[in-house]
Amino acid sequence: MTMTMSKVGAYDIRRWSGGSGAPLLYLHGFEQHPGNAPYLQKLASKHKVIAPEHPGYGESTGIEDLEHILDIALHYRQLVEDWGQGPVDVIGHSLGGMFAAEFAAVSPHLVRKLVLVSPYGLWLDTEPAPDPFVLPADAMASAKWHDPSSAGSETSAFTDNDKLELAVFRVKNLGSATKFMWPIPDRGLDRRLRHIKAPTLVVRGEADGLVPASYTDAFAAGIGGAKTESIAAAGHLPMVEQEAAFLKVVEDFLA
Amino acid sequence: MKFHWFAEVTYPNVPKDFVESGELNWVKPNPSLFDPRESGEMYRMFIRLMQGADKVGFDGLAVNEHHATGFAMTPSPNLLAASLASTTENAAILVIGNSLALYNPPVRIAEEMAYLDCVSDGRLIAGFVFGTPMDSAFAYGNPPIEVRDRFHEARNLILRAWEEQEPFAFNGKYTKLRYVDILPRPVQKRPPVWVPGSGSVETWDLVIDENYCYGHLSFSGLYSAKPTVDAYWEYCDKRGGDMNPNRMAFTQIVCCAETDAEAEAKYYDAVRYFYRTNTVDPNFAMPPGYSTAKSMRSQNTLMKVGESKLTPEDKARAASGEMSFWEYDEKGFIIAGSPERVSQRLRELSKDLRIGQLIACCHVGDLAEDVAAENTRLMGERVIPTLRDLWSEYPDHWTPETSQKRVAAISPGIARAPEFAK
Repeated sequence: MTMTMSKVGAYDIRRWSGGSGAPLLYLHGFEQHPGNAPYLQKLASKHKVIAPEHPGYGESTGIEDLEHILDIALHYRQLVEDWGQGPVDVIGHSLGGMFAAEFAAVSPHLVRKLVLVSPYGLWLDTEPAPDPFVLPADAMASAKWHDPSSAGSETSAFTDNDKLELAVFRVKNLGSATKFMWPIPDRGLDRRLRHIKAPTLVVRGEADGLVPASYTDAFAAGIGGAKTESIAAAGHLPMVEQEAAFLKVVEDFLA
Repeated sequence: MKFHWFAEVTYPNVPKDFVESGELNWVKPNPSLFDPRESGEMYRMFIRLMQGADKVGFDGLAVNEHHATGFAMTPSPNLLAASLASTTENAAILVIGNSLALYNPPVRIAEEMAYLDCVSDGRLIAGFVFGTPMDSAFAYGNPPIEVRDRFHEARNLILRAWEEQEPFAFNGKYTKLRYVDILPRPVQKRPPVWVPGSGSVETWDLVIDENYCYGHLSFSGLYSAKPTVDAYWEYCDKRGGDMNPNRMAFTQIVCCAETDAEAEAKYYDAVRYFYRTNTVDPNFAMPPGYSTAKSMRSQNTLMKVGESKLTPEDKARAASGEMSFWEYDEKGFIIAGSPERVSQRLRELSKDLRIGQLIACCHVGDLAEDVAAENTRLMGERVIPTLRDLWSEYPDHWTPETSQKRVAAISPGIARAPEFAK
């Protein structure tokens, strides 16, 4: 995978891309872009992959300009149109799942198949999801991982050693996430799920303590014909904790 | 030099084991620990104390805004200010301030502040604040990344609403109003504006560009504030801003008694109560996006400078009530003792930080009313008059003309140099 920086509209967007095959857009989760992650490299062995960084994350700009969730959906529409590959497969993880679903709802002609992994975007009064912005480190670790020691395998777009700059990186990322996830990660997606026309797979790690099972069930119920897969021994990042099982359910679905 | 009477309005009757039991006092306080009738008595006490401060020569009566906390139980500063505006004669009504990002439409703030200016006959100081993260991001649910933007949009709307002589349309990002034409209008054409900050460069630029009164409002005293306040003045100078000390406010807890020993006996418990009950979950204190990357980098540098005089251990000990009374004083958290000692220490503080507007916290924690009243009287009669010479060569455009005139008429020391000046 190669890292490059280029314009999407007026924004400077960093992206990792590579591989060949059917075009695949990967949208990362709320904490950070995973950089040149092993699972992205493996996806690139079968697909032509593009994994852009969200506006306001890391080195990418544009968050000040975004007002509504529609602006994000149109941002990704423009990115896919500029890519010029026609309809693409889309994998969206966590906050990226919320963005992917919004994009698929407003641009059905551009999405061939949709995979939502532990997606944010809904709210259920019957089971309030934890607030990911205030969990103490240990509670965050046990909510995020099946096995908290998996944290060592998580990759990041930030590779410097500077502690202050790492703190700035995290605050920029999570600050940008607050635009769409604060105080409640619901920007009306439940009303738009029915506009998603692409065949959809909703994936979750069985031990995900951030997005409860009732949420992925609600996604599947809201999107016509959606399938669900649950991955054992994985939390909010099944692609990290159970890479092989994750890739299998995704590749089987996209095939 | 000007003096503004202030208290954080801390609920005085939490259980003895409040801190030990792990109770939080912000965002998610336990309502069963806060008795409404006791709260009412507390509010009436603060109104009486501030009415007293108005009579002994204070330049302003300061009220502020916090939410969901027993540490500062003033959800709307305008309510307390309204009680004072109609029952005092002299001092400015210093609303410091309204959290602009929290109101939609923010014309409500323009209206209420104009009302306060009318009732007080032109004595309002309009403080605009971002609010703590606990207030703005948690209790009122604003995405941290939007707070600044919402603040500025509201500020522009409020200032226009006071000044425009024709109805106008306001098409903001967060507020859309086809017709803005508020009543009442303020007595002062434009009330003085104060914007306190916590060291954000963006706020420095704002107060320099608009020539507002800046404020450093913390309860950690001189050493904690000095790196930030020095850096602000240096930045102001470099940018060619107005270096007038009267456009800098600072909060300081003051514990004044006839003698130093008496001060310790009367205030120590209340000081410890104040610091110990300010319990906040650290995860509520700094949500992502509340500070910009630019400010994070500059504040990191300033923090390291500050640690040479006041270590993180000192701050932790102050917060847990483990300091002795005089250590609180020595480290700058409080200024305590006889009127002579307090006067001398305030003079040093004011010169060291270049402060023309001192927001003196004359009540703290669960202090008894009679002690706070004595504190107020000693300040008014024996401390403030000795400090009137400070910065008197500079004009003060940041307190209302009416309050300046009325306070001068009842106060010794104003417009004549005391014998011990300089």
